[in-house]
Amino acid sequence: MATSLVRKTKLLSMVSSQLNSAACFRNIHCTAACLKNRAARIRVAKGDKPVTYEQAYHPHHIGHRKGWLSQHTSNLQGEDGAAERVVEDVFIRRFMYGTFHGCLADEVVIKRRGNLLLICAVMIQKLLPSKFYFLIGYTEELLSHFYKCPVKIEMQTVEEKVVYKYL
Amino acid sequence: MFTVIRSKEAVLQALASTVNRDPTASDYRFQDDPYLTPKTSSEFKLFSLSQESGRNAAKYFISTYPKYFQKDYAQPHIPCLMPETLEAQIEEVSEAALIERIQMRKVKAAVDLYDQLQQAGTPVSLDVTNQLLDLICFYGDCDPAQENEDVQDEPQTKKGRASPCLVFSFRENNNAERIFALLSEPNTHSYSALIRGMVKYGAYSKAFSTYTDLLNNQLKADVSTFNALITAAPEVKEKYNEKWELIVDLLKQMAEQKVKPNLLTLNAVLKALRRCGTVGKSQAFPVISEMRALSIDPSLASYNHLLSIFYKPGAPFQGQTDILQEVMNEVSGKSFTPQDPDDAQFFITAVRICLDTKDIEQAYRVHELLGVGENWRLLGNDFQQNIYHARFFSLLCMMENIDVVLKWYRDLVPSVYYPSSNVMRDLLQVLDTDNRLDLIPQIWKDLKQLGHGNRQTLVEELLTLMAREKQNQEVQETFAECALDIKKMYDTGDRGKVMMSWTAGSLSDLVSVLLAAQRRQDAWEILKLFKTHNRVPSEELLDKFLTCIKESGDVNQALELVQISAGFCLPGTPKLIQRVQQEFLLSEQQNLSFQTHISHNKNSLLFTFSVSDTEKPVHAL
Repeated sequence: MATSLVRKTKLLSMVSSQLNSAACFRNIHCTAACLKNRAARIRVAKGDKPVTYEQAYHPHHIGHRKGWLSQHTSNLQGEDGAAERVVEDVFIRRFMYGTFHGCLADEVVIKRRGNLLLICAVMIQKLLPSKFYFLIGYTEELLSHFYKCPVKIEMQTVEEKVVYKYL
Repeated sequence: MFTVIRSKEAVLQALASTVNRDPTASDYRFQDDPYLTPKTSSEFKLFSLSQESGRNAAKYFISTYPKYFQKDYAQPHIPCLMPETLEAQIEEVSEAALIERIQMRKVKAAVDLYDQLQQAGTPVSLDVTNQLLDLICFYGDCDPAQENEDVQDEPQTKKGRASPCLVFSFRENNNAERIFALLSEPNTHSYSALIRGMVKYGAYSKAFSTYTDLLNNQLKADVSTFNALITAAPEVKEKYNEKWELIVDLLKQMAEQKVKPNLLTLNAVLKALRRCGTVGKSQAFPVISEMRALSIDPSLASYNHLLSIFYKPGAPFQGQTDILQEVMNEVSGKSFTPQDPDDAQFFITAVRICLDTKDIEQAYRVHELLGVGENWRLLGNDFQQNIYHARFFSLLCMMENIDVVLKWYRDLVPSVYYPSSNVMRDLLQVLDTDNRLDLIPQIWKDLKQLGHGNRQTLVEELLTLMAREKQNQEVQETFAECALDIKKMYDTGDRGKVMMSWTAGSLSDLVSVLLAAQRRQDAWEILKLFKTHNRVPSEELLDKFLTCIKESGDVNQALELVQISAGFCLPGTPKLIQRVQQEFLLSEQQNLSFQTHISHNKNSLLFTFSVSDTEKPVHAL
């Protein structure tokens, strides 16, 4: 398959060079699709879909009507490690989503103070408090050992998901 | 209009108030959320245990799959966050493998490996053998309980990591003695390990005979051997002065062998003196002064033993109250570090003595000492903290007036201490003594929250206190609300909680409270409950009820009341009938029906009276 592709491109370049000496080449542009105008936006629909405050406001409202979900200093001038922080955040969010399955009322907020990793989550009162504490102890211990830094969870519970509006 | 005038120190005062413990917050272990805060002592224990078991579950995963946790981000390296290896790495039969197993505290594996080494003929150095002896004697020849193991499988061994096999009492052919016997030239360390193991696990006379062996081999003992022997001394002799003489003998030998005593020696002597009765009392202070001369300062454990020598629980006190004061003079204002396992007993013993001698001044000093420096660490685990606070609070209830008690109540409950129902009963007594019964509805709310709302004796006492005297109008209203709330606790047996049963007394109290608040309708409902629960109302109660009905003038209710009284065949019914006839205006029809009732009831009354005059009839005809 690769050889046929090579042959085809050779054919193409031969044809184009023969056609036009002052050739303007059009190359194939290959990047991953970013879809920057569709990320983190819930589109307006029939009016029966409940949506939280975080979900209702689009990314260009960050800094104006929304806060940041992940707070660390690696985006400052002269600091490094931003990419590693992003990967850690993604892992932590998936971990929280899976461990406290069905209990998360809103996005997890991750704060870093010194080497302390603070995970702030709002939960629905779906489980008994003793079960919550079991999962909290488990998460703190496992993530501390995984990231080699103290991890603390600050949890707040609500009775049901706080709906901001219906879209 | 919007500016608030504050004093110049307002900011400083606000900042200073942030330094102390927050009495509205729960323990630091828990999340700061109303749903996740424990409200009773059983919830406290449940939540902290479930958090701990979550941590153990995570540790299990980390140790079972260590390859995912090897990447080291931390600079500098944090050793406690790396996965720990539970299995021994070195497989071949060698001394290094033995050392590894000793460090991992695997007793049986180490002993087996040692035996293999002996059979193979490889000489094991004396140091390593001494370490092995230490291991065996510390753990009593069985493996410490691993955290992942199912402890229920071994019902005989005690749970806990430090001293698992208390059932083990140095059997005849145990490994420690066997390995010791194999040693060609045991040195001080070997003897020390063996003697300490024997004392720890109860083989006291063997310990002393081993010590004689040591002396026969012209070896010197070290300080920990002597400490162990002193601890064992009260066990091998019977009479007080013999025990003391043995201890003195040991101390003299210590001096001869030029072994310097340390703090643990002082504590061992004092602990032994606890078992020596009157000899202990006379010798305790000289011992402490001698040790002071050797620049050994007593720790909290020493003071604990001292107090226990002089204040035996349950014994009457004759003029010994100044010893506690002297001890408190010594320790006040000082911050102590843990140096002896018995340090944690000091605060409990001190507050027990204050409770027994009813000394509130010293109790305040003890509590103040708890706030100095690092002393809060020496209060012990949750169970001991509970005991300390229970005793402290009971003493307060006994000695102080209601305002002081309430101030401490709001400070301690429920952030630090969840009172038991006995302590709450003490609190009710204080309310009674100081005539602040209007606080009862608040206390009832707290009782419900603490989980004591379904304790029958406590609830009945509450009702009696409320019903005893008539209060002013507003207080009576609150009492009525509280009483109706209490009634709900009797009705709903929700979620398998302990059901309370009505007694005649509690029902009467409930009715009196409602009547005093002019709630006749509610009281009427309760009166009907007498029949359903097979309880008999007293005559005074029905009298009171009649007085109340008279104020409203409801004749039908009066008649029904008489019917109820007759239904219970109460001997006071004729008097009631008389009262109704005199006090109420009966219409003709009502009078007629009344008369028929009277005649009907007279027959039944006659019948019951003929049976027995004293017996209170329960069933109507």
